[in-house]
Amino acid sequence: MSTTEQARPVAPMTTRQVASRRRRASAAKLWREFRASASGMSGLIFLGVVILLAILAPVIADRSMLDVTQLTDQPRFAPPSWEHPMGTDHQGRELWVRMIWGARTSLLVGVAATAMSMIIGTLVGMAAGHFTGVAGGVIMRFVDFFLVLPSLVLAIVLSSVLSRGVLTIVIAIGVTSWAATARLVRAQTLAVEARPYVERSQVLGAGHWHIIGKHLFPAVLPLVLANTTLTVGSAIIAESTLAFLGLGDPTQQSWGTILKDSMDVSAATSGYWWYVVIPGLAIVLVVLAFTLVGRTFEAIVNPTLRSR
Amino acid sequence: MTDTITPVNAEVHDEKLAEESPTRSSFLGYFGTKLGGALISLVMVVLLGFFAFRVLPGDPVRRIAQERPMSPEQIAELRRQYGLDKPVTQQFLDYLVNIFTGNLGESYVYRTPVSELIGQYLGPTLLLTGTSAIIAIALGLWLGQRAAWRNGSLFDKIATGTSLTLWSVPTFWLALILLMIFGGTLRWFPTGGMVSPGVEPGTFDYVVDVARHMVLPVVTMVAVVFAQYLMVMRASLLEEKSSDYLTTARAKGLRDDLVRRRHAVPNALLPTVTLVFMHIGGLVAGAVTVETVFSWPGLGKLTYEAISGPDMPLLQGTFVVFSTIIIVMNLIADLIYRQLDPRVRRA
Amino acid sequence: MPDLVFDDVSITYRTAAARGRGDIAAVRNVSLSLPAGGTLGIAGESGSGKSTLAMSALRLLPDNAVIDGQVRVGDRSVADLSFGELRALRWSEVAIVFQGAMHSLNPVRTVGQQIIEALELHVKDGWRTAEARKARLAELMDQVDLPIAKAASYPHELSGGQKQRIMIAMALACEPDIIVADEPTTALDVIVQGQILEVVKDLVTRRGISLLMISHDLSVLATACERIAVMRNGELVEVGESQQICTEPREAYTKQLADAFPTIGDPASRLKPVTRRTDSARTGSIDAIDAADASAPARTAVEGDAWSTGEVLLEARNLSVTFRSRGKSVRAVRGVDLACRQGEIVALVGQSGSGKTTLARTLLGLEAPDQGGQVLFRGKPLGRSTKRLREFRRQVQLILQDPSAALNPKLSVYESVAEGLRIQRYPGDERAQVAASLENAELMPPEHFFEAIPHELSGGQRQRVVIAGALAMNPQMLIADEPVASLDASARGEILALMLRLRDELGLSALVITHDLGLAWNIADTVAVMYHGEIVERGATETVLLDPQHEYTKKLLAAAPKIVGREGVLATAR
Repeated sequence: MSTTEQARPVAPMTTRQVASRRRRASAAKLWREFRASASGMSGLIFLGVVILLAILAPVIADRSMLDVTQLTDQPRFAPPSWEHPMGTDHQGRELWVRMIWGARTSLLVGVAATAMSMIIGTLVGMAAGHFTGVAGGVIMRFVDFFLVLPSLVLAIVLSSVLSRGVLTIVIAIGVTSWAATARLVRAQTLAVEARPYVERSQVLGAGHWHIIGKHLFPAVLPLVLANTTLTVGSAIIAESTLAFLGLGDPTQQSWGTILKDSMDVSAATSGYWWYVVIPGLAIVLVVLAFTLVGRTFEAIVNPTLRSR
Repeated sequence: MTDTITPVNAEVHDEKLAEESPTRSSFLGYFGTKLGGALISLVMVVLLGFFAFRVLPGDPVRRIAQERPMSPEQIAELRRQYGLDKPVTQQFLDYLVNIFTGNLGESYVYRTPVSELIGQYLGPTLLLTGTSAIIAIALGLWLGQRAAWRNGSLFDKIATGTSLTLWSVPTFWLALILLMIFGGTLRWFPTGGMVSPGVEPGTFDYVVDVARHMVLPVVTMVAVVFAQYLMVMRASLLEEKSSDYLTTARAKGLRDDLVRRRHAVPNALLPTVTLVFMHIGGLVAGAVTVETVFSWPGLGKLTYEAISGPDMPLLQGTFVVFSTIIIVMNLIADLIYRQLDPRVRRA
Repeated sequence: MPDLVFDDVSITYRTAAARGRGDIAAVRNVSLSLPAGGTLGIAGESGSGKSTLAMSALRLLPDNAVIDGQVRVGDRSVADLSFGELRALRWSEVAIVFQGAMHSLNPVRTVGQQIIEALELHVKDGWRTAEARKARLAELMDQVDLPIAKAASYPHELSGGQKQRIMIAMALACEPDIIVADEPTTALDVIVQGQILEVVKDLVTRRGISLLMISHDLSVLATACERIAVMRNGELVEVGESQQICTEPREAYTKQLADAFPTIGDPASRLKPVTRRTDSARTGSIDAIDAADASAPARTAVEGDAWSTGEVLLEARNLSVTFRSRGKSVRAVRGVDLACRQGEIVALVGQSGSGKTTLARTLLGLEAPDQGGQVLFRGKPLGRSTKRLREFRRQVQLILQDPSAALNPKLSVYESVAEGLRIQRYPGDERAQVAASLENAELMPPEHFFEAIPHELSGGQRQRVVIAGALAMNPQMLIADEPVASLDASARGEILALMLRLRDELGLSALVITHDLGLAWNIADTVAVMYHGEIVERGATETVLLDPQHEYTKKLLAAAPKIVGREGVLATAR
């Protein structure tokens, strides 16, 4: 109400300037609110460190440290000590080197699979929400089907059939995990679609593309982004599970393949606890960090969730 | 334009007389619709089962050949066995006929019919996942509503924190850790299998022995799954908490715990039921890895063996069976929902 | 019988400072008393603190509300009661009638169960056994004129009025001494509202129950209460006898509230909605408003019925609309003929469910009419092709009920107003056109508003932005669906005055859809009354409203709450 009183400079600004200034202001506001959350910030800082380590892996530890043929004088199954901070594995490789190299694959697969799942989920969800009648019904039936389907089993099937590799894992996870996003996006789309401003836009003569691009997509985007952060966590778990079941790429280090190796040498029952505990703990912490960041973000963009 | 229409129809709207009889929507009609939906899903599973294995660019036989050394003759033989030398349409027809006659092919590793294998392994899986599901649902819903009702309390913070952490734990890793501590170091529970050798089936000892074997796998699955249910219940009760009808209940002089039990929870359960059953897929995913770690003789372990084979007919079989179980569970969820919500029951 | 006394009550909501809002004072130093057997109304716009005050009587406020001062029932201070004593006080001595049409009933329990529950909680001599409680339930249902069979219904099976009756029955259940009614008739149709008020009044007088009623509508309070208190921004503005508050208010704000609900038949409000620009609403467009105020009566006097000779702009011929869902088909609109001429304001009056919104949507081409019906614009049938519709939509624009929902909260005022120009690929200077439209909608200077996003504006300003968005297209006609229903009383008059001025200065026609006969009296040239999908009566406003022919119109007019004894009420307004 007070806008009129605030004597704003009546500089002739273009709409584009106005829009970009508002966008910057809202980004600053988002950041301010995010900073107020202790759990969100600790998650964000932890993720920052992990991502930095993963990027710098070749600098910190040369790839040759993973080459089994050059490691003949290394002790096998050495417990953590000053010399071997995280212990060594069954082939004498330093576990910490495998961990930071493994972070690369685990994070990459997590992010790529999530990106794929988000794109499919957003497109399908918006289509299901926007188009009414038979088309919308058919799409929704399809979404519901993928939603109830046991995604891990389908991912297992896909990665068993397709040729082995990181890309296969990404596809297997991406193709099987989009349905939850689609459902969320559809719900949001329906909510926005029911708002009178969409009807107003229609009366002004707008077509499907205008409404989708100008009203639906911007309204759905923040939720999708918050959901993305949450989904990266699940995708990392899915990657480690597939790797653990022997469907990963054996030539690439990932936290899942490390755990697979530990299982193959019965580390859990033979007393090589570090071989099991460290990679698992890394997954838990990273997934937790993504979850905390995602929830904080979600609570900001969707105030009705505030109290959760 | 200034003409007035004479009152032909003097019947005047009267609120009191607006009598609309509460029509009970027929159970059969509702069930039929839901059953139809489930059948469509089943057909889609069957189609997916075919297309994933035969049509995708990856050739299952070549994939098998990648895993083990094979001569070209062996590969050709394998192709013939799987019917991969026939045209795709012929393959599809054969597949359909086989599926509807319950013939899921022959396992490549076990050399026995897949349906027979699944029949053997289904029981233990249902026992394990069923027990886990019941415990996880009870625990999750109970803790979830308490946490939401005392939103922001220490109890809520601990419950939420624990759930978020458990939600971040890969199931198989938790299984490994539990195996390491309680099976390896402490030796409280057996490390694998369902029964110790030599125990007579049907005796009381047998029941106790199976129960002991179940403890670790069930704990693992419950730990991971109840956290999700807790968060779902918590979120949906929080949504109900600000409802006007709760103010009405309080104004009537109802005790706080009765407001929760009689009014808030029955409403919060509605969205929860749908989501809980939707997450049953997570339970199945858990079964695959937990059964693998604890060598539980169920469908999950069979799936793992099918992967390591690789044993495509077996994998196809477990995929179809797992999906069917979940579709049936969701059908049950729809029926429960109808029972809980008068707006569906008496629409 | 106890009195209900608010003694210097202040209520503050404490919010987390981190969210940057700090403490919000909802009620400030209010002292009011409701003597045993008396009736008191509290009037105020949204945010005036009236509901917060009422809820404090039973300590039903959320935990973050801090109450200063005393709320007393009889000689006990509500704040000093233990939880046990408080529970005993609730409902058996003080009961509340909530807005039943909303979500005040538990959707998964039958309404009978919910009434019985109250009886079980406060067992009194009359209902010690389960059978006695059943009998009491039957008695209560009878008192609110509902058949006992309805007790087995779930809330979703009842209409808004029936739910409100259930709420009243529930409040009466334990024979309370005091009843607090919080907006008991809001969201109900006029006729139903009349019936509910009748039930409340009757029960209060027959049983000697004290009544505290809260409403934004002075005329509703005047119907049921002896005394009225007016609240604004948490403070008490004025208390007095109903008659005095409505007819000779001491405070300017009270007058505003009273005038917002015009008396049909009062020449002072005919084609002249009350506008007043108080300091808080000043936008710098005073001159324009004054000009409008000055020109309106002049115009009606001089050119009188100019519209009746104008060209017919939009016309419906034998229009029917049928919805099909789940095998059932519902005819929402039946064989409607309606025309709107150049420069004419037509009010389409009807209750919810009468099909008036469907008719408007069909006129706009948003719904397809049934075979045989036609919508004509300037005598040409409205095509269904995208291109034809797009062309048509430049000419006829829609104004929706709730301006906060009709604007995308993420877009600035400029973008919202320019949206239509961009969709229609406006060839001229977009910026100039947006500025001109905002000026026409009396948002001045327009540059001030370019960057504002909707939540920075008041309700009335938002509705002006919506109107500016429509004006930007240079339309011939506006279709407004309840344009002021969600606005506060003070904004109502301003928006109606704007619509009149647009008609006079730009020659715009308008079809205004409303449930509010007073609004029709305020601005419309002709009135069409819609009932069950049909237009039962239409004609010049004075003819229809002062000399109604159809039973339904008469009933509508009779049900509209009136402020008795107000000056200028004509005998013809039966």
